[in-house]
Amino acid sequence: MTRVVEVPAHFDDRSFDQLASGFGEWPPAERVLVDARGAQWASPYGLVGLLSAGQALVEAGSERPLLTVPLQDDVKRYWARAGFFRHAADLFEIHGKVPRAPASGPSDVLLDVTPVRGSEDIHEIVGLIQENASRIISGELGLDPKAAMGFSMALSESCQNIVEHAGTSGWVAVQAYTFRRRLGRRVVVIAVSDAGVGFRRSLEATQAKRFGDRWSDATALEAALIQNVSRFRDPGRGQGLAGIKRYLSRWDGKISIRSGTARLAIVPSWDDDLPLTDHLPFFPGAQVQVIIPAQHADAR
Amino acid sequence: MILTIRLHRVLREAVRTPYRNLVTRATGAAVRDRIEAELAGGDWHTALLDFSEVELLDFSCADEIVAKLLLGPASAGRALVLSGVREAQRETLEHVLTHHRLAVLARFDDGEKPEPLGCLTADARAAFRALRDGEGADARELAARLDWPAARAEAALEELARQRLVRPAAGRFQPLALP
Repeated sequence: MTRVVEVPAHFDDRSFDQLASGFGEWPPAERVLVDARGAQWASPYGLVGLLSAGQALVEAGSERPLLTVPLQDDVKRYWARAGFFRHAADLFEIHGKVPRAPASGPSDVLLDVTPVRGSEDIHEIVGLIQENASRIISGELGLDPKAAMGFSMALSESCQNIVEHAGTSGWVAVQAYTFRRRLGRRVVVIAVSDAGVGFRRSLEATQAKRFGDRWSDATALEAALIQNVSRFRDPGRGQGLAGIKRYLSRWDGKISIRSGTARLAIVPSWDDDLPLTDHLPFFPGAQVQVIIPAQHADAR
Repeated sequence: MILTIRLHRVLREAVRTPYRNLVTRATGAAVRDRIEAELAGGDWHTALLDFSEVELLDFSCADEIVAKLLLGPASAGRALVLSGVREAQRETLEHVLTHHRLAVLARFDDGEKPEPLGCLTADARAAFRALRDGEGADARELAARLDWPAARAEAALEELARQRLVRPAAGRFQPLALP
């Protein structure tokens, strides 16, 4: 038996739950086929989330999942250019013709889909962003150089959550694009995903007692993102997410974190997302998205 | 003696990276270990942590290096000063220091006079400026300089001394001597 999990046509943080619901009980008893043939657009969040799905299945001992590539040429070219297929080939049995990733050139992909396995990877990721993305971050988005530095810091701290808490490796991607529906201007997006233990299990030993019967994926996210608590007793811990929040409040940015069955967001005025969504279909690990909008309205 | 430690050099020794970024908690811990070894070996009263070739400093690294050095035994009873700090690093340092209710003296790479960063009352900041721009003083002299009651000046000087931003000696408080 094979369980078919369909990738939504417009695949981003909003439609991610459709993908998650396709897996049913986790891990699924059947072999999984992730069907991306109908995909017409995918955000970096979608791409790193898909890799986490593949990784979680492999790490759960399930049969190697299948993946059918998007039918539309421009869609699969973008997925190739973003480095998705390069890593997907290690996790999925891929069906369909995968285009060769084009030689690097001007692109809105500021950081290809990149594995985050340890501190050395984060040095590389932050270094690459500083070398390659300053034109878009400072130029197109109108962020001053200090804000560009803050962006790199937000990236570093987001990736460190994987290294410090996930118990396994994860993925990051950074892209600039025009956020037509909600904002009508350019944004730069950091998407980070892992297939690890999730916030609830990471914080359980130190926080579950405090919340009692209320302890859940949602309260674990609340503890981490709102109260800045960490599983470590070191009083210096928990400053990374606090620092990201402060940075985002200054630049009108947004952060959302999905873990297990809940999603918590700090929502700026330009967005209509719900701050907390609970009882979602389960998905392993944690998925973080950070969005920083252009500071001038004509950046489209 | 003033001991100068160039953080970029320590970073290169601690981590194989072509970049000049102090990022990640693991890197911060590795850098701090090396700094503590240098601090342990020297006869120094002030250690200057030179950030001048460091580009990015993230919260985790700032916490592991600056906060933990200030809190730990390696610098007990002696002064730590940051030099060559970039304006873009200010907020990270302020955030981490305030979190731990710490303060440190920092000299920025624009060559301006050193200034305290972190958790400090407005009175302590005013007292620091008065000492930095003039001679050392005792509480009575500082009170006269700032037109404050003596108790207010005393409290401000005690706070500066507790944060190791001035050097107390025989009832007087001196600004830290920097090269």
